[in-house]
Amino acid sequence: MKRYRLRAAVATLIIFIILDIAIVSGHVHIVFPWSHVPGFFSFFGFLGCLAIIYGAKLLGHHWLQRDEDYYGKDDEHE
Amino acid sequence: MMSMSNFPLAIIYVLGAALLPLLPRRVRAAFGLLVSIAAFIFLVNLETGASLTFPFLNYELMVCRVDRLSLAFGYVFVIMGFLGGIYGYHVKDTLQQVASLLYVGSSLGVVFAGDLFTLLFFWEIMTISSLFLIWARRTRDARRAGFRYLLVHAFGGSALMAGVLLHLQQTGSLLFTHFDGGVASYLILLAFTLNAAVPPLNGWLPDSYPEGTVTGSVFLSAFTTKVAVYALARGFAGLELLMWSGAIMAVYGVVFAFLANDGRRLLSYHIISQVGYMVCGVGIGTEVGVNGATAHAFAHILYKGLLFMGMGTVLYATGHNKLTELGGLFKKMWLTLIFFMVGAFSISGVPLFSGFVSKSMVVYAAEMEHFGAVVLLLNLASIGTFLSIGLKLPYFTWFSTDRNLKPEPVPPGMYIGMGLTSLICIAIGVYPALLYNLLPFEVHYQPYTASHLVETMQLLIFTGLAFWLVIKQLHVADTITLDTDWFYRRPSRLAFKVFSIWVCQLFEAVEELSIRFARYLVKVGANPAGYSVEAVKNAGHILLRTEKPAPEPPTFSPDRYRIPLGFMVLVVLLVLIVILTWDFLF
Repeated sequence: MKRYRLRAAVATLIIFIILDIAIVSGHVHIVFPWSHVPGFFSFFGFLGCLAIIYGAKLLGHHWLQRDEDYYGKDDEHE
Repeated sequence: MMSMSNFPLAIIYVLGAALLPLLPRRVRAAFGLLVSIAAFIFLVNLETGASLTFPFLNYELMVCRVDRLSLAFGYVFVIMGFLGGIYGYHVKDTLQQVASLLYVGSSLGVVFAGDLFTLLFFWEIMTISSLFLIWARRTRDARRAGFRYLLVHAFGGSALMAGVLLHLQQTGSLLFTHFDGGVASYLILLAFTLNAAVPPLNGWLPDSYPEGTVTGSVFLSAFTTKVAVYALARGFAGLELLMWSGAIMAVYGVVFAFLANDGRRLLSYHIISQVGYMVCGVGIGTEVGVNGATAHAFAHILYKGLLFMGMGTVLYATGHNKLTELGGLFKKMWLTLIFFMVGAFSISGVPLFSGFVSKSMVVYAAEMEHFGAVVLLLNLASIGTFLSIGLKLPYFTWFSTDRNLKPEPVPPGMYIGMGLTSLICIAIGVYPALLYNLLPFEVHYQPYTASHLVETMQLLIFTGLAFWLVIKQLHVADTITLDTDWFYRRPSRLAFKVFSIWVCQLFEAVEELSIRFARYLVKVGANPAGYSVEAVKNAGHILLRTEKPAPEPPTFSPDRYRIPLGFMVLVVLLVLIVILTWDFLF
């Protein structure tokens, strides 16, 4: 199962790198440093997604996530 | 003169809201739709460049000003009001019906306001009418969230009023145009950014929107923040601060959304993220930027309304809205899933859906001005959006663990509302000219280019792959996430302690002390002599280590404390001796 996923990912990546070289490179009018990296947005999407997942988890676990009654403890005064 | 070309649309909604409670209960929902249709007829007859002024005190108020920017927002507000009305057709609650009409009307009032007094007036009505869409849920949490919502927006409203008055004093003009800096404009900017939920002024949004009623939150998601985007576009286009805030806000929203457990709170954080794109577009301030912000607001109102309708339907049918309590609804609520996915694909910017043609315009504006960091931040937010709304939320709601929920039947109006909204989302995605023709400036942008398609597909597919790889490690937890509302929610407990509990305790202590003192006086007063004797004996007991004295009787008896006659004679004689000695000597 794991192997199958990895192969699918690599195959998609190769397809997009080819597409990037064939269609995108040399055709964009506004050039950024990453415009010359074929498949940049594949890597960006993959790593960005992992960064958001683990970044958010890290923030949440160590700092931001609290019990649901965190604000509710003052209820007894109502 | 008032005519069809400069008719203030807010009047229609205000009249409608006033008439609605007088009608028989069963025609009220239909009447609400009729109001929207009437407003639409008036809207298409408005003419660009027309305005309506009338004198008020010493000022000329411009209650209606029509230009392409206000028209674009006007169209989407009227359409969304209509779609929300269909979705909420089953609602029998007059409070919600009146509040939603007033809310739509006052939003249109702001959008077509030509002067700052009119703007302020409708701005405050928006706050109040939206508040009742939260309170109409009639739960304790909703009531409390509503109070916080009211306080935050009262603060924003006050800042706006102070800004408007100062602006009037400085410039002598009430006209709502581009602001040129100075204290007055910063106060107005504060009020606008508060309503646009720009961090750190964002805490109120995810706090209150998930507490609204099923249909109320559909309305809430559409108006307040987008009215603020409109106001920013008119007053502060090109402010670089807004561009950076917008880009950061877009990422801020997706990070917090990922942590959310409540489905509608997750969607609320994505309002912040999506409004970030619009604020960013406004901040870039070029024609493409403002066009992009307007286009994205237009598309966003529809697909976000659709997403709130979808999660609202789940809440309506199952009574649950938390990811920890949902799952396995695929077979029972597949139609809702289809509509929800149209909204999810739209917000994620999947080609052929509305977000694709609007979001990319903002990114394109940033590319044109060569802000590389902004481009990357916006793309990162795009990844997070697809991750949370396109993958995580549907996965945990419709698939994942089957929690054997028994959904109740859903009124057909909700399906029709979602269906119509889905159609518009797809129509805009397939034929962008529908949207582009409404934008304030002429559009020279083509979203469907090969390179743009390849870039977008790479982002989306690899986000999906990453999600697929780590899906086993994702689990939802029964938690809440701290946000900037912490700063007024936690200290509120301290304030409550200091100003209420401590003051009460001080009063209690003083009261206790005075009662004790009074008791003491009563005790001493009953037997002052006995008390003195006891005090002397006690002092002796402590200082001279004499025997512990027996307690004196509580009441005074003259015989017990009568001084012996011989002692008195001795005292008199001693005094006489002293006086005589004094006399003799001096």
